[in-house]
Amino acid sequence: MSDPGTLALAAVASAATDLPTGDVLATLASVGESGDWWFIGQPADWEFVFGNADYLGIGALLTIGLTIASILLGFLVGFPAGAVEVYGDGLLERAVSTVGVVLRGTPIVVILIVMYFVVGVPQINLGIASISSAMTAGIMGLGLRSAAYQSQIFRAALSSVDDGQLEAGRSLGLSRFEAVRHVVVPQALRRSIPGFQNEFTIVLKDTSIVFAIGLAELLTRGYNLFSEQTTAVLEVILFISAIYFVLTFTTNRALDYLGDHYAIPEGESA
Amino acid sequence: MASATRPAAIRERVADSDRSVGRLLLVAAGALFWGWLVVSWINRWLGGVIVPVGQPLVPVGAVEAAFGAIPGLAAYAADAGFVVELTPVLSRGTWLTVVITGVSLTLGFIIAVPLAVTRVYGRFSAWLSLGYTELLRGTPLLAQLFVLYYGLNLASYVPGAVSGVFARDVVWVAILGFTLNGAAYQAEYIRGALESVEEGQITAGRAIGLSKLETIYHVVLPQGLRYAIPSWTNEFVYLIKYSSLAGFITVPELYYRTNQVASETFRYTLIFVVTGMTYLALVLTASKLMERVEDRVSIPGLGAEREE
Amino acid sequence: MSDDDFLRVTDVSKWYGDEKVLDEVSFEMDRGDVTVLIGPSGSGKSTMLRCVNRLAEAQEGSILLDGEEVLSPDLDVDELRREVGMVFQGFNLFAHLTAVGNAALGPRRVLGLSESEARERAEAQLERVGLSDQFDSYPAELSGGQQQRVGIARALAMEPKLMLFDEPTSALDPELIGEVLEVMHGLVEEGMTMLVVTHEMSFAREVADEIVFLDDGHVIERGPPEQLFDHPEEERTGRFLERITSHD
Ligand SMILES: Nc1ncnc2c1ncn2[C@@H]1O[C@H](COP(=O)(O)OP(=O)(O)OP(=O)(O)O)[C@@H](O)[C@H]1O
Ligand SMILES: [Mg+2]
Repeated sequence: MSDPGTLALAAVASAATDLPTGDVLATLASVGESGDWWFIGQPADWEFVFGNADYLGIGALLTIGLTIASILLGFLVGFPAGAVEVYGDGLLERAVSTVGVVLRGTPIVVILIVMYFVVGVPQINLGIASISSAMTAGIMGLGLRSAAYQSQIFRAALSSVDDGQLEAGRSLGLSRFEAVRHVVVPQALRRSIPGFQNEFTIVLKDTSIVFAIGLAELLTRGYNLFSEQTTAVLEVILFISAIYFVLTFTTNRALDYLGDHYAIPEGESA
Repeated sequence: MASATRPAAIRERVADSDRSVGRLLLVAAGALFWGWLVVSWINRWLGGVIVPVGQPLVPVGAVEAAFGAIPGLAAYAADAGFVVELTPVLSRGTWLTVVITGVSLTLGFIIAVPLAVTRVYGRFSAWLSLGYTELLRGTPLLAQLFVLYYGLNLASYVPGAVSGVFARDVVWVAILGFTLNGAAYQAEYIRGALESVEEGQITAGRAIGLSKLETIYHVVLPQGLRYAIPSWTNEFVYLIKYSSLAGFITVPELYYRTNQVASETFRYTLIFVVTGMTYLALVLTASKLMERVEDRVSIPGLGAEREE
Repeated sequence: MSDDDFLRVTDVSKWYGDEKVLDEVSFEMDRGDVTVLIGPSGSGKSTMLRCVNRLAEAQEGSILLDGEEVLSPDLDVDELRREVGMVFQGFNLFAHLTAVGNAALGPRRVLGLSESEARERAEAQLERVGLSDQFDSYPAELSGGQQQRVGIARALAMEPKLMLFDEPTSALDPELIGEVLEVMHGLVEEGMTMLVVTHEMSFAREVADEIVFLDDGHVIERGPPEQLFDHPEEERTGRFLERITSHD
């Protein structure tokens, strides 16, 4: 197969030699010349960046989509996994926690490449649109890795709920499962919001690493752009960094709001 | 009654021995891993005293023969030989991974402590510190490495004093990137820990005549840094894993080297499973090490609250 | 009011925002005196104490310690605190240091003694408060009474000329109060100058040279214990004493 991953890396290797690009001294000099002390880079290169804003915008949308899909997958797998680690026993509990250790102990770039080349996830055809195999591999890799982290967030949250809560539920005649489901889980979910917030931004930032399998999200598109116009390297990277910053910042504030909104009065700080 | 309790007791003991066998296996694997690494490194530094530089420590043929001789494993003989052939690449790449992680973590820590202290106790500088951590934590590490490497082309500006320490100066760019990024994360962890030190500790320090700075140094930091160990361990582990991103700016660390072999041989499965296991071994070692450190510096009553 | 008063507090006032928490407080002590501040919660006792070693800043008035103006802006605050020891209600022991480490930190880092001199001094003070077999225990390994005695030893290790006690026994279980009061008794006998906030009225009656009753930031009444406890002149003093003794 002609794999974009190798292409991306080959591009990196060649860039190293062909792209001695945005130069510190030149950049600083241009700051002096333009007279605008706050303006970094060349106006022409900024024009190039803004001229390609659409192209980068689609990359940003892809980044957002990838993040949401991965977080969802991570939640769907990670929540039960966390519950198994708290309430399960025997082989299942051990298998789940071992897989978790492996996923948390391996670099995301290795996980992504294993997903892409080894598991060889196929292209998924949805009729109206098809999801490329790189996209599927990206969601699987980021999603399962996130599941491993989310399971720890939920595990900690579940075990932080006082045992008395479960007992009180049982004393009302709820079964063990019902007591967990209706009494413990609602409290645990609220308590896991801060950890979840952290995890969300980690996934968002790590979507940039699907660069390794050539998926054309924000960072990869930025890379393609500055490979095309090598004087605009700094401008392009600063521009996409700003987009990432806005995305993480808004996500954080939104989840802050969620956290405040659903906070249980007192006891939450403990 | 007695007969009812027995099976449970036995099962417990079986599980226990199971666990201790598992632990023993892990320790053995760890010893083998680090023994192999250290011997490979020494062999390379001494110019190939044990085996010629670039050769595996054990002959490929011997391993293949050994696998071939065992009925169940014969089918994997070729794979095993390939992994052995890969080991010199692995040990070389791991060396750089370990060095980059260690140096960046240390330098990052040196920056992080004052960053955290100003964040908690400073006025104007608290805002600077906040801006720095938010910016660095709000953008992807890979983008930051790209800024340093492609955007500012820093590899051409490595100062003479440190240039040449590594075969390629770009290693310093990676170290700079990880240091700046790691400092932001470490500062955040340390800040949280400093804030959990009680107000009364500062009052008491001031009451015996320590200045504010002396109180922070002698009273707040020794406690706060202990509180910070668990989250700091996380940062250590993160850095080991994310050091692989240095490969994207052509630093020949573990991921870069094995990926190169993979793109030549197309044996992605085997190579990346082995690469992943190598990182996993580093990560597990780091967290065990930090557990030890935490035990060593632990003080009765300090940090115990956190377990609740 | 003689000129050679050791501590002379004159018309000290302090505000927190708009709230006046000390209103022209005055009293004085000779060397070796024990003065006990009493009063209801929120009356400003702790604040008064903390003004003496400048943990709180009084806005008006004067505090002369051994002839020097404590409230002077030019005063070296760290120097002042070297000479004034303080014992806290909540102990505030340094959680990361052993008993000896707690008592040695000041001598080592503030007075600049050598490691061994500081340790020696710390051990001597711990012996003085009856903790010779707890040198290397951490605060979390000590009972409340023992912790407070370490707190006292820590202050004594600086060889202060004045000791401030802010409700040193209030956080203790009743059976542990005695051992701390005993140590304080010992200090009184050795002639230590002490300014004490406490609700232990029998202790106050025994050792105090003067009782100062504060309410709402004002000195309502002051005098020797027999007079103030047995024949209070002010109605408020009587009511306060009645309330506090009926609790005992
Ligand atoms: N740091 C502060 N900021 C604002 N107000 C304060 C502060 N410290 C004390 N106060 C206020 O000053 C008043 C006197 O407080 P202070 O602690 O001196 O009382 P106290 O007599 O020691 O009471 P207690 O017996 O409860 O210890 C109270 O109304 C209190 O609310
Ligand atoms: Mg008080």
